[in-house]
Amino acid sequence: MDTSKYKALYLQETSEHLAGIEKGLLDLEKGAQDDQTVDHLFRHYHSIKGMSASMGYEPIQKLAHAQEDLLDRIRQKRMACRPGITAVLFQCLDGLKTLVRQVEDGAPLDADVAHFAAMIKEIIEAPAVAAEPAPDKTAPAAPSAPQTGIPELKLSHVMKVEGRVFDELLATVGDLVMALSTFKTISHSSRSIEFREGTYKLGKYINAIHHSILSARMLPIEDLTEGLPRLVRDMSHRSGKEVELRITGSDLRLDRSTLEGLGGPLVHIIRNCVDHGIEPVEVRVRNGKPKAGVITINAFRKKDRVVIEVADDGAGINVSKIRERAKASGVPAEKLNAMDDKEALMLVCLPGVTSTDAVTETSGRGVGMDVVKAAVEGLGGSLVIASTPGAGVRLSMEMPITTSIIKALIVNEGPEQFLIALSRIERVVEVHKGEIANGWYATGTSRIPVLPLGPTLGMPDAGEREFYSLIIIHAHGVTDDTGGDAAGIRVDAFSDEIDAYIRPLQPPISRLWGVSGIAVMGDGRTVFLLDVSQIGTKVKAWS
Amino acid sequence: MSKKKVLIVDDLSFFRMALRDILERAGFDVVGEAANGAEAVDKTRTLLPDIVILDVVMPVKTGIDAAKEISLMKMPLKIVMCSSLGYEPIVEEAMRAGASAYILKPLNEKDVLHALSGLDAGGARPGR
Repeated sequence: MDTSKYKALYLQETSEHLAGIEKGLLDLEKGAQDDQTVDHLFRHYHSIKGMSASMGYEPIQKLAHAQEDLLDRIRQKRMACRPGITAVLFQCLDGLKTLVRQVEDGAPLDADVAHFAAMIKEIIEAPAVAAEPAPDKTAPAAPSAPQTGIPELKLSHVMKVEGRVFDELLATVGDLVMALSTFKTISHSSRSIEFREGTYKLGKYINAIHHSILSARMLPIEDLTEGLPRLVRDMSHRSGKEVELRITGSDLRLDRSTLEGLGGPLVHIIRNCVDHGIEPVEVRVRNGKPKAGVITINAFRKKDRVVIEVADDGAGINVSKIRERAKASGVPAEKLNAMDDKEALMLVCLPGVTSTDAVTETSGRGVGMDVVKAAVEGLGGSLVIASTPGAGVRLSMEMPITTSIIKALIVNEGPEQFLIALSRIERVVEVHKGEIANGWYATGTSRIPVLPLGPTLGMPDAGEREFYSLIIIHAHGVTDDTGGDAAGIRVDAFSDEIDAYIRPLQPPISRLWGVSGIAVMGDGRTVFLLDVSQIGTKVKAWS
Repeated sequence: MSKKKVLIVDDLSFFRMALRDILERAGFDVVGEAANGAEAVDKTRTLLPDIVILDVVMPVKTGIDAAKEISLMKMPLKIVMCSSLGYEPIVEEAMRAGASAYILKPLNEKDVLHALSGLDAGGARPGR
């Protein structure tokens, strides 16, 4: 058989079956030893074996066969599913994965299959510890009971495309959008109906392409989290703790690049939860908590953003310890004293600051929360940490659903122009300079803090004006007069609302304070997108 | 004589594609594909194939069970089992369920065509 054209299909189906095996083994280990779980597992191994044999991947075929054989014995009740079996099967699964990856890379299949086969043989030949159930003579060789089917063949309509292709497509559409904005400006003053009509149509089609590309780039969060149950299992085994992982909302979709960028941070966070958050079993029992700690991952929509929350029910973060560590690493005492606990908690994101003394195999000492924060913010998101001593830690990552093209308002400050995402703007008001007093703007019933944009960004003072525009935003951590989170960004004036293709900032520009992206306008000028969340943090300093 | 109509049943699209390639090259008319035993029974009823090639290990309904049901329909067709399970009890059970031939995976063109040509030699009904 000419195997090359089947390789893509082989890899696709095999990866589904490997995922199925992983899930099945986790269920099996948790005690789900029902016929259906065992039967599904058997079928996954069986499928991999069959396909590998046809492709001539002998080591994979052999390894899958050994495991299939073991499952078949369990399935036919010729052998009891003893503890310890899953541990071996997990190891063998890693062997299978390695081999399949070698197929994908076109590398020689050189993993040591004999070693795995020997482990399985040992299990099969070991005398049963528990009494085996009496052999069921009426059991047919193949299952005849109707089973509730799970859809296992959903990838046949799916095309594998390198992510890079979509990145390029998106960048091109971004350029189209910006070029279009020039046409739009001209068309406003053009008398030619044809030109205006043409520009309108062009805009409509570019919009349609943009949306298709965006939706093609969206992936469910599940794609990222499906490997976590195994990760948590391995980590908790190593640390000797009992940890349960619960995931909700993983069907929500995020842009591929955002999701990809979250992989590292998520693993960091989970490791911290297992190693430093969740207490050892004896401590938990002593404190009246259930033996098994729980890590919850919950994803939900919040306007145009997705929030991914990771929480554990462990010991929480010791804030006074954080303060000590921060002081030791050089944060001035007066600055520390001015911080409330919520702010001090964020100090764990400083390099070298950690709340733990323990050095563990998986996370070392205080795994870089600074790295996590930088990664999340680099993706246009924000990170908030909350902790209740004794009851656990909750980390929230608030992420944009897609980077790229957004609706934005152009604002003028001195000689400069900036963009503010429309989604972050509550409303825009024109105010007389007299309406702003001591950094507060009175709206009639309440007062909200005001930030002059230029000075906040460190621009030279452009001199006083009679009138200003106030961009009213909501920002985390801000407190207005009525306990809300509104604040006003004071700018000289605002102008057009545009569709802006936002490019991520590259170092060293990415280290600039107060901006989170850059757009190239139709006429070639570059304009910064303001980081509203970051600017919002300055409100306290001014008010 | 018109082309023989074949229904391919396997839960893996990998094998469906492989079989389809082999059969179409050899001049068979692949009238449909099914991914489990239940679908196989439905499609046999509507597509009226001359030959149904059934995988044994499938979700929802196994190939053996599907073969039993299809046999009960008393339609002018031949059932061929196709599996990587080669041990005798399974082969015997497949034959009892109504299969006329048994192909062992991994698939190879020669075995597949040999098994199908054997159907006529064994007195298969002429293709419609």
